[in-house]
Amino acid sequence: MGTISSAFDLISGALNADQSALSIVANNVANANTPGYTEETPNWQENDPVQINGVQYGDGVTETGATSLRDTVLSARLDQQQQMASASSARLTALDSVQALFTPDSGSSSSTAGDIGNDLTGFFSSFTSLEAEPTNASLREEVLTSASTLAGDISNAAASLNTQRSALDEEASGVTSQVNALTSSIAQLNQQIQSTSPNADAGTLEDQRQEDLSQLSQLIGINQVKTENNGLSVTTTSGQLLVSENSSFQLTSGSVSGVTHFFVGTADITSQLTSGGGELGGYLTARDQDIPSALSSLDQLAYGISASVNQLNNTGTDMDGNTGTAANLLYIFNEPTQVAGSALAMSVTMTDPNQIAAAGAGLGTGDNSNAVAMAKLASESLMQPIATTAFSVSQNLNASSPSATSSLEVYDTLGNSYNAAVTYTNQGGSTWDYSISVPDVLTANTSVSGSVSYRFGTGETVNQGTNLTITGNLAGGGTGTITAPTVTSGEAVGTAGPPSTGYVAALDAQIAAAGITGVSVSNTGGVLTISGATGTAGSVIADPAASANATGTLTFNASGALVSPAANVAGITFSGLSDGASALNLDWNLHSTGSAGNITETAAASLQSGASQTGTAGVTNGPTPTGFFSNFVSTLGATVSGVQAENTAQNASVTQLQTQNNALSEVNLNDEASAMSTLERSYQAASQVFTMLNTIMESALNLGTETTVS
Amino acid sequence: MEDQELKELVSEASHALARLDTRRLEELALCCRSLNRELAPAGFRKRVDLARQSREAAEEMAVFARVMEATRANLDVMRRLHELRTGQLEYGQAQPRHWADAESGHGNH
Repeated sequence: MGTISSAFDLISGALNADQSALSIVANNVANANTPGYTEETPNWQENDPVQINGVQYGDGVTETGATSLRDTVLSARLDQQQQMASASSARLTALDSVQALFTPDSGSSSSTAGDIGNDLTGFFSSFTSLEAEPTNASLREEVLTSASTLAGDISNAAASLNTQRSALDEEASGVTSQVNALTSSIAQLNQQIQSTSPNADAGTLEDQRQEDLSQLSQLIGINQVKTENNGLSVTTTSGQLLVSENSSFQLTSGSVSGVTHFFVGTADITSQLTSGGGELGGYLTARDQDIPSALSSLDQLAYGISASVNQLNNTGTDMDGNTGTAANLLYIFNEPTQVAGSALAMSVTMTDPNQIAAAGAGLGTGDNSNAVAMAKLASESLMQPIATTAFSVSQNLNASSPSATSSLEVYDTLGNSYNAAVTYTNQGGSTWDYSISVPDVLTANTSVSGSVSYRFGTGETVNQGTNLTITGNLAGGGTGTITAPTVTSGEAVGTAGPPSTGYVAALDAQIAAAGITGVSVSNTGGVLTISGATGTAGSVIADPAASANATGTLTFNASGALVSPAANVAGITFSGLSDGASALNLDWNLHSTGSAGNITETAAASLQSGASQTGTAGVTNGPTPTGFFSNFVSTLGATVSGVQAENTAQNASVTQLQTQNNALSEVNLNDEASAMSTLERSYQAASQVFTMLNTIMESALNLGTETTVS
Repeated sequence: MEDQELKELVSEASHALARLDTRRLEELALCCRSLNRELAPAGFRKRVDLARQSREAAEEMAVFARVMEATRANLDVMRRLHELRTGQLEYGQAQPRHWADAESGHGNH
């Protein structure tokens, strides 16, 4: 290189570099308002020195491109906060709608869900009014009118919640195509970035990818993983791959049990997306948790009121002198068969006000004792269901195997699941011992004097021993305990008599022999009930461990048919325990279809979800109907308030991070340090404000009462 | 500030912190200090009123606490980031160089 030309080269190089730098600045200015654009700074490359007459001279600099002032750590943090803020925003919008449903509308003349609290008071008050004049026709009419208002408002609330849930389902479903468009775009950008700029910042392409990531973060919860050559993998927060290098994996949706579920390939990632964040996480949380929870509360309320009112009215005497019978049920409300759906189905079935049974059973129509009892329901615990869960066990028994075990999940009415196990042990030949074990969730509530009931198989045929311990007061003081006699296969439950028969008689005899008083045994429709007379006269408790297990022997003939017990094992039921939490009904059947020693059940395993339970009504030590509704509304309010606080904080965090991000793009490390200093000073000042406010509030609350003034 | 309810003050502090409005936060800190001083000799009616305001501001305080928490987390991220970047400046290999550096060593003018 000659001297002059070298000098020119050097000068022109510097000028070119300066011109490039100006272009970059111009680019920054032009894109100042482009979403996601990251400011660029020129890169200066020192040129190789030149030798002139043996002397080394510097050759100036060349502008080698631009580096975007992006910071992946900060961007990732921003994306993370954005997805949380989006989730809480979407959830908050849904919760606000739910809350609005239960907010009284003072300007409205028609009754709505917001009036349920008043409806409850009005309904039970109508019975109080009826107490004074139990034969008054208009007061009877008023009972039905207030019942209709209550049922209508509860049912409409449930319908509105279902509508809101469907709307959320649609919103959630609509997110799929947006997610797929973004993941495809990110995969394409990955390819472009890796092919054009594997070792350096790819400028605009990286901006576009960052913008896509930012948008994706607002839709769903994601993790970003940097890969080789400026590549990027994207997964859901729980690790499901969405983008890998230049490939994207499509999110699909499909209906499962009436709601939209989301899949990548065959993997159902709905629950992952629910907890992951983003708009979709918010929608799904509201759809699958918040609204079902509100519906469940309404169902419990509707079930409790309908079942308890119907039960009482059916046992009283109406204006025509009738008492409810199977053929003539005196039900005010549509009788619920299960908790789930009770709110939506709640309605008044009684049309004749004369059927209101204000009088007690067997008393004249002028009596008001049943009206008093129904009015009293307002201050009594809301009736809750006691589940009877039925399921079947499917198990192949093979004589060459020493044992076999079936395990299954059963649900109580509230949707809690438990694992039950049935173990078969080969006793040789075609005889098998079996043992059923269910978790000991049936502990009787001994603080309540009440009843323990056992439901036996269809046709009141007792097939297997039910170990039961009964404790009661002895006539001469103290307590006595008996172990109930073993139930023999085929033994009838019997009746309470007198004289008692069957197994009832055997129990009676053993209780009497032990000198226990105040305990009676009865059988109603196959339900054997052992009752303590009063809290002081002796309570009845079950032996939970024993009652939760059943054992026996099955014997099959040469063709595999069950010969002993004589009939199929129809089941053992534990129900009506006074804690009311989770009674279980084991109902299994064995049939022979195979050759000797190889028994296959034809009844498939039937697992029932909490939503498909049936149950009988029982009373628990819970809140009153109005208390229950108040708890529901206040819990809903607290949830909304909590999500609101989260949302505000997350949005504030996003704002802060955006401020920091903008400051970072403004060039050098001094400015960055200054931006961070602002953040630190703000935090310190806020800490002072918080500490002082806390002190002021504590002092004010302490000093705001007369007694604490010194 | 005299007529401002406590909940408004707390709410304003949350917003100022979100915007990183240091000056406003420092003003609010002074305001709180002054309020705290006034509390001790306050009459009964004033104290009862302040107690009411405190109860009503409980929700805003919860939000403020959450914003503080998020800010602290952001501050941690920024501190780590700053350390990372200053570390790169001192020891990194591929930092862009500036005119002054390039010309001072080898310039021939």
